[in-house]
Amino acid sequence: MEETKKKEETSTHKIGIYLWIWGLLFVLSFFSYMVDWYAFQGLLRWSLILIFMFLKAGLIMAFFMHLFWERYALVNVLLWPMTAIACFIVLMVAEGQYTVFTRLLYFFTGG
Amino acid sequence: MSDEYNQQNTPLEAQSSETMSGSSGTPSKDIDYVRPAEIPEQDLYHGHSFITKWVFCQDAKIIGVQYFLTAVFTGVVGLILSWLMRLQLGYPELVPFITAEHYYQFVTMHGMIMVVYFLTALFLGGFGNYLIPLMVGARDMVFPYVNMISFWMFFIAVCVLMASFFVPGGPTGAGWTLYPPQAILPGTPGANMGIILMLISLSLFVIGFTMGGLNYIITILQARTRGMTLMRMPLTIWGIFTATALAMLAFPALLVSCIMMTLDKLLETSFFMPSILQAGEVLSYEGGSPVLFQHLFWFFGHPEVYIVALPAFGIVSDLISVHARKNIFGYRMMVWAIVGIGGLSFFVWAHHMYVSGMNPWFGFFFATTTLIIAVPTALKVYNWIITLFKANIRMNTVMLFCLGFIVTFVNGGITGIFLGNVAVDIPLSDTYFVIAHFHMVMGIAPLMVIMGAVYHWFPLVTGRMLSEKLGKWHFWFTFLGAYSIYFPMHYLGFIGVPRRYFEMYDSPYVTSAVGMNEFITLAALIVGFSQLIFIYNIVTSLKIGKPAGKNPWKANSLEWLTPDVPPTHGNWGEKLPVIYRWPYDFNVPGAKEDYITQTTPPSEVINAEVEKT
Amino acid sequence: MSDVKIEGFELKPGFKGMAEDTGSDQTMFKGVQWGKVMMWIFLLSDTFVFSCFLISYMKGRASTVVDWPNTSEVFSLHVGSVPVPLLLIAIMTFVLITSSGTMALAVKYGYEKNRKMCGWLILATAIGGLTFVGMQVFEWSKLIHEGVRPWENPFGAKQFGSYFFMITGFHGFHVSIGVIFLFIYAYKTFAGHFDKEKRGWFTTMKGGYVEIEILGLYWHFVDLVWVFIFAFFYLW
Repeated sequence: MEETKKKEETSTHKIGIYLWIWGLLFVLSFFSYMVDWYAFQGLLRWSLILIFMFLKAGLIMAFFMHLFWERYALVNVLLWPMTAIACFIVLMVAEGQYTVFTRLLYFFTGG
Repeated sequence: MSDEYNQQNTPLEAQSSETMSGSSGTPSKDIDYVRPAEIPEQDLYHGHSFITKWVFCQDAKIIGVQYFLTAVFTGVVGLILSWLMRLQLGYPELVPFITAEHYYQFVTMHGMIMVVYFLTALFLGGFGNYLIPLMVGARDMVFPYVNMISFWMFFIAVCVLMASFFVPGGPTGAGWTLYPPQAILPGTPGANMGIILMLISLSLFVIGFTMGGLNYIITILQARTRGMTLMRMPLTIWGIFTATALAMLAFPALLVSCIMMTLDKLLETSFFMPSILQAGEVLSYEGGSPVLFQHLFWFFGHPEVYIVALPAFGIVSDLISVHARKNIFGYRMMVWAIVGIGGLSFFVWAHHMYVSGMNPWFGFFFATTTLIIAVPTALKVYNWIITLFKANIRMNTVMLFCLGFIVTFVNGGITGIFLGNVAVDIPLSDTYFVIAHFHMVMGIAPLMVIMGAVYHWFPLVTGRMLSEKLGKWHFWFTFLGAYSIYFPMHYLGFIGVPRRYFEMYDSPYVTSAVGMNEFITLAALIVGFSQLIFIYNIVTSLKIGKPAGKNPWKANSLEWLTPDVPPTHGNWGEKLPVIYRWPYDFNVPGAKEDYITQTTPPSEVINAEVEKT
Repeated sequence: MSDVKIEGFELKPGFKGMAEDTGSDQTMFKGVQWGKVMMWIFLLSDTFVFSCFLISYMKGRASTVVDWPNTSEVFSLHVGSVPVPLLLIAIMTFVLITSSGTMALAVKYGYEKNRKMCGWLILATAIGGLTFVGMQVFEWSKLIHEGVRPWENPFGAKQFGSYFFMITGFHGFHVSIGVIFLFIYAYKTFAGHFDKEKRGWFTTMKGGYVEIEILGLYWHFVDLVWVFIFAFFYLW
């Protein structure tokens, strides 16, 4: 337990950084709410939503969950599996479009 | 370790890291230096009563045996189901109670039991629990309580699964892939209670397994003993570790699909259910996507194949190395192959779905990734064979099973290449060729490893040897028998006999397939019964087997080096072992014996040409 | 964290450090406690659960030929007589992010052995979580009142109701579990269990303030998932 004790004494961060991140999260949430308020449409809406979402998620993970201060071994173990999810998402986008295409073709226009 | 790292160029270190020949190096304390322990000693809960010692036990070894026995029980149920199926196929209408409905229920339950509740639980729960702490030099799993809960969750899952045999309507008969919409619609056997119990049981299995899997991963990553680097771990541990990592990432997809299908059944949501006209009546479902279930299922299902295969790869590598008295060829290549197969397995899932009506462009992507994954797999096969080349092979039962594994695995792997190509797969899909392929590659091949592993580690668990004579009979019956079952199935597939058909009736297949079907059924019955030799061997050897003593196979890895044989709770007595090398130092030139255990310090093998690991 | 010290092992930063950590004996994640690794790996697995839910939602929504309801109308609240889009959701997001901030501070004060401050902050987090669950109940009852059910939806595609109740329900379930544990840990902190290194219920391992960080990881994860649900379900 000696390591732990040593660590506990030294590993806290200044309160400022938490308050900063906290504030940023509020601002970003407000922005993403504004996207809906002003009813942006199309590509602008989607890209803004995604940008704010990833920024918020990144801030929470990096600072609140301390990933920014963790050693790379842990960070990499946690982030690499997400490639499988990314692949799944991309393929399901294609699959969804194909499904709706076949449905429209066979149910409505009559293939 | 830091000394070793910082002063890598000191002459002494250079000598111990290269080969040492002649008598130039004097035994010195410095070359035996291993840096001190990072983590404090683990406090263990020692059971006092019968209940805490043997039932709700927190010792990973006991939990491993519990997992093993429960899994074997489900495996026997699966075996009996396969007999019933074979009886129907070989001799239609011979057994009066096998109706079409029952036949589908047997097919479904056989598949699900064998893949999930038997092989997965046996490799990861059984071998994983028993071997991980011993092989990495830990006192126990890192969270013994969670580990105990994990087994009991699995036990409840098995109970729920078995309960589905006794509910009205019987177990589900939707095929082990449980494809909706058919799985939850009336007309499919067990479409009410059967499918619900199956989904609940799978969810419980996933929850229980997650608890176990966290234990395996963290024990391997964070609780190794001094000197045990990742690249000094036996390949068994690498296989189990990667398989567990896959399971942690793949089972969520199964959990999600189970939850969604349960909601479709109970609340009539339409996740997977399109508009359906049934017996002239429009059902309330509308607009769901059945192919989504297939994607979710195979996003779990394909890694699941490797969850079964990777521990088998790992274990067989160790068995071959020990019984061929030679280091495993290309250890690092083997490790990277295991990791690579594991990583790639998340990108190949839809090769199970070429005929499902998914986006047709996917065929390119998944055929390519599927063929890529064959590369590391082939590497492993070459390495096993090169390990055997010019080795000092002990032709005992364990080695026979390893050789049997290589043969069946190569056979099944090559048919896999056929099926991975879209154009070849389409005519072959849903025929007996597929059955032959996956039974060879993930049925018989892992079973060969399990049996070899039991012959190998039985002396460790019980302190007594199994009978070699009975073992060889068992091997030849199993191997030749299994080949007689599955090899003809390739031919059945080529002539177009479809899988999952209750009966062939008067189709043109009948004339050429009848005789072969009878032959396969007879072989299946013989193979099944020949397992009684195995059980007899185990039961009698418990009492009258030759006492094994310490390290009967002269192996190097840590599990044989415990102070007590069989190992007791806490594994290592007073002091944890310190590791100086990999577990494959067999027949090292200049060494006193033909093996150097992992705990032998460098100063004791100063004249041997050991490799730096 | 970066300033761990380990006897006989030099910790290097960056990818070189990663290579050496991975190649070293005993542990791969240097100075990270077992429980914390367990929570991280569990969260990784849980991420896959939520990803699969959201991917299914995406696939379901992309392939339906019936129109998806306009979420900013469905989830709007009337202030006076003016409909404000997503008002409740905005408040819920605000509450959850607030509770995430208090949790982060609780972890900090925990490591500084500031028992009182840590306890109060955990309690504040728990209350924030409870508020969130309460508002979710309100949101659900409002939608149910309007006729949305898992199996039907008066505003358009059937799958809207199904995915909404399933995904927010699964998230709400996570929040509820978190709230229960937050209350338990607030009690444990005030009672001084972590200062005394008291052993937990089912474990022979010693307690410590690292447990607060582990709980914090879970709580931030719940917040993280909400960020994605907010973006994909309410805004998209």
